Amino acid sequence: MISKSLALDILNAGLATGADFAEIFIEEKYNNSVSIDNDKIETISSGIIYGAGIRLLKDLRSVYGYTNDLSKKSLLSLASTLAASFQGERILTVTELKKQKVKNVHINKRHLSDVTKEEKIAYITKISDEMKTFGEKIVRRSVSLGDNTQHVIIINSNGKIFEDTRERGRIYISALAADENGIENSGVGPGASKGFEFFENDVDALALARNVCEVAIKKLTAKECPSGKMPVVIGNGFGGVIFHEACGHPLEASSVSKNLSVFANKLGQQIASSVVTAIDDGTIVNEWGSNNIDDEGNKTQKNILIKDGILQNYLIDDFNGRRMGMKGNGACRRQSYAYEPTSRMSNTYIAAGKSTVEEMIKSVKLGLYAKSLGGGSVNPTTGDFNFAADEAYMIRDGKIAEMVKGATLIGNGADVLLKIDMVGNDIALAQGMCGASSGSVPVDVGQPTIRVSEITVGGRGGALK
Amino acid sequence: MMKLNKYFELAKEANIEALEIYIVRNYSLGFSLFHGEIDSYTTNDSISLGARGIFNGKMGYAYSEKIDKTTPEFIVKNIVENAKNITNDNKVTIFEGSKKYKKFNCYNKELDLVPVEEKLNKLYEIERKLKESDERITEIGGVGYEEARSETILANSYGLKLSEKSNYYVFFAEAVAKDGEETKTGYKTFLESDFSKFDVDKFVNDVKDNTIKQLGGKPCKSKNYRAVLAPRVVSSLMTAMLNSTIAEEVQKHSSLFEGKLNTQVLSKKITISEKPLAHNIFFKGFDDEGVATYNKDIFKNGVLKTFLYNLETALKDGVETTGNGYRSSSKSPVGTGFSNIFLKPGKISEEDMISKVKNGIYIDSITGLHAGLNAQSGNFSLQATGFIIRDGKIAEPVNLITVASNLVKVFQDVTMVANNVELLTNATSVPSIAIKSIMVSGN
Repeated sequence: MISKSLALDILNAGLATGADFAEIFIEEKYNNSVSIDNDKIETISSGIIYGAGIRLLKDLRSVYGYTNDLSKKSLLSLASTLAASFQGERILTVTELKKQKVKNVHINKRHLSDVTKEEKIAYITKISDEMKTFGEKIVRRSVSLGDNTQHVIIINSNGKIFEDTRERGRIYISALAADENGIENSGVGPGASKGFEFFENDVDALALARNVCEVAIKKLTAKECPSGKMPVVIGNGFGGVIFHEACGHPLEASSVSKNLSVFANKLGQQIASSVVTAIDDGTIVNEWGSNNIDDEGNKTQKNILIKDGILQNYLIDDFNGRRMGMKGNGACRRQSYAYEPTSRMSNTYIAAGKSTVEEMIKSVKLGLYAKSLGGGSVNPTTGDFNFAADEAYMIRDGKIAEMVKGATLIGNGADVLLKIDMVGNDIALAQGMCGASSGSVPVDVGQPTIRVSEITVGGRGGALK
Repeated sequence: MMKLNKYFELAKEANIEALEIYIVRNYSLGFSLFHGEIDSYTTNDSISLGARGIFNGKMGYAYSEKIDKTTPEFIVKNIVENAKNITNDNKVTIFEGSKKYKKFNCYNKELDLVPVEEKLNKLYEIERKLKESDERITEIGGVGYEEARSETILANSYGLKLSEKSNYYVFFAEAVAKDGEETKTGYKTFLESDFSKFDVDKFVNDVKDNTIKQLGGKPCKSKNYRAVLAPRVVSSLMTAMLNSTIAEEVQKHSSLFEGKLNTQVLSKKITISEKPLAHNIFFKGFDDEGVATYNKDIFKNGVLKTFLYNLETALKDGVETTGNGYRSSSKSPVGTGFSNIFLKPGKISEEDMISKVKNGIYIDSITGLHAGLNAQSGNFSLQATGFIIRDGKIAEPVNLITVASNLVKVFQDVTMVANNVELLTNATSVPSIAIKSIMVSGN
């Protein structure tokens, strides 16, 4: 999108006042989405995200600017403006740029950009029609399919040029059930870094749609969840959002490097119970949160974060790594050129253990089975987190009992990690969007079913009994 | 500014009945400190174009940030292609224009004249004073400044051309306090367009207070409490509830207020108005469809007075748009939104209100609204922090609790509305309120 000689000029203009690193990130991304709402195709949208970000580093300082005017004049002027925030003499000149090999491991058979809107519409319509079979109680059926193809070029003062194309697609299915008891909803959103074959072959969208309707209808007659401290069995797949919030965010170098994380300076120490091994793996083929390279050009990696309860590693980008004396490990990400990149998660999960779901349920006399969770959030400095259950049941005398709704689980990350006392063998991943300072990026969360010995549950159903 | 003729010409050739172009140009500058050094500096100058057009009676959308000679063709082609596949039979329209538009200058030129050094010096001062303010403050998590100017242009094939320009700045700081093993964080943001209104000492004191007062916080006993909700808590719950006044939610049976127009749904003490024409930094003279905005009561003394409409939902109900057609960005389709919401204050001070509540809980913050709220039923269960109210006074801090109730019930349960109105960064002006009861889950 820009010539080598212009790139050299921009990098050198950025380095004029003593910066020790300069980087240009150029992006062109095509977005498409179609959605159906109660049998009507309501919105179809197509658009282009386009622009460039320039980043300069000098020791522990970073400056970042972006524009979507990619003319020579505009980019050189941006580089000079950024350079003006440092005062010093040039210490580095780039003379040569060499294209690096980036191997694409996330092979697509049918590019989402090649599939017509008509075919995508036919696909979501079929899902919506399946939900119709649940009759009048399902008052709103929504299905959407969004896909994007992002082409990036990263050029830096180490003389390297990286190019990569990322392709992702995701559907979102949601149902609203209503009767004299009220209104309830449920939803699911599978996605992948894969072509249309993911939707055609890998995902059983009709089964997911039926399940979404069943859960929404069941919630209508569910009792409000009681509140209090209790043992909680958390279901696999999206249940991993607990780990994402409570532990993943505080392991990001953006907070660790500034000593603003509960897990700062704790490498080699026991931070979780010994049954917990946790991994962030950006290399899983075709997975939603994967990439070939991260957004500063480093190859993505499989990083073991916690092994048998011992903290092994953090999620690191090169810049925050400077403060920690560590190198980036492929975890530097950004939503787009409009965000300065930083350390983020990719596909983060608790590894499989040995327990079965039955054993875990059986072990609880009175508690909660949070089969699937909604979203949540965390304060990475204190570790305090919250998340909501989408589908939950009481456990009574070792058996799954009545369904309950409106449960919120709260706690402290450092504390809850030590209270995970059983880990199941049914590992599964689930897809989501994660928001933080460098924008909203696609990530997987995941875990097998786990048991937490005690957690605070909030609900409207009065005291636990 | 760019020439738009080409878009209108190509649209006409492609048999697009009417075309609307919405352009947002943003400029921003921001920097933050860590340990006395600038650790981050960001700047941007960017433009984004969103367009929609009517083809065969259906609305097609497209957008682009790549603005060059290929853009008009990309936009027109995609509008036609997307419109062709729409099966929604709602009547759609592009607006020819209102008779009159109210104007207010919400661009403060003085802000551009304040030297960058002066802005930066304020940050150094904040960081230093915050560090010195209390020995338990061990770390300053971030001290930052950001300023932004934004220009919106709306033009359509009926010849309507409107534009609005605004700017603002914001200071923010987060402090970390430690006491033994315990860590707490507190923060504050300050949003304005007049630079002279920023008071470093008051700001530092607020950040310090917000942080230190949480130390020693523990879960309290689980039970129903009488409660006072701080302005930012009221604001979060109120905006979540206002989503149910959006006509599209009513038409799709997802609203808490379907069939409740002109009935008493909230406490008589509650009057909530939308005042887009109020003279503050959130002023908006026209909505994102080019309709002139106006001030209105949404709830008056607890009675629901109006739903909020854009052109499409108004046509569906056979009413006039209320000027609430907004896009969340130039890339999003026009939905329905609101800005500059005012909750009418009462006469009592917050302190007197706490004293009248006598025994209960003061809820200072809630988090997790995106997950812990069931928007359809209004039921919520949210992580919260606050203080016990004992004998009419603020007592020990409370944290790691959840509060559970229902959005509508909170605003039905109101016993007092205070006079301590705060203009918050989400464009709401709200005071604290006291409510009969909220379910707290702690110990």
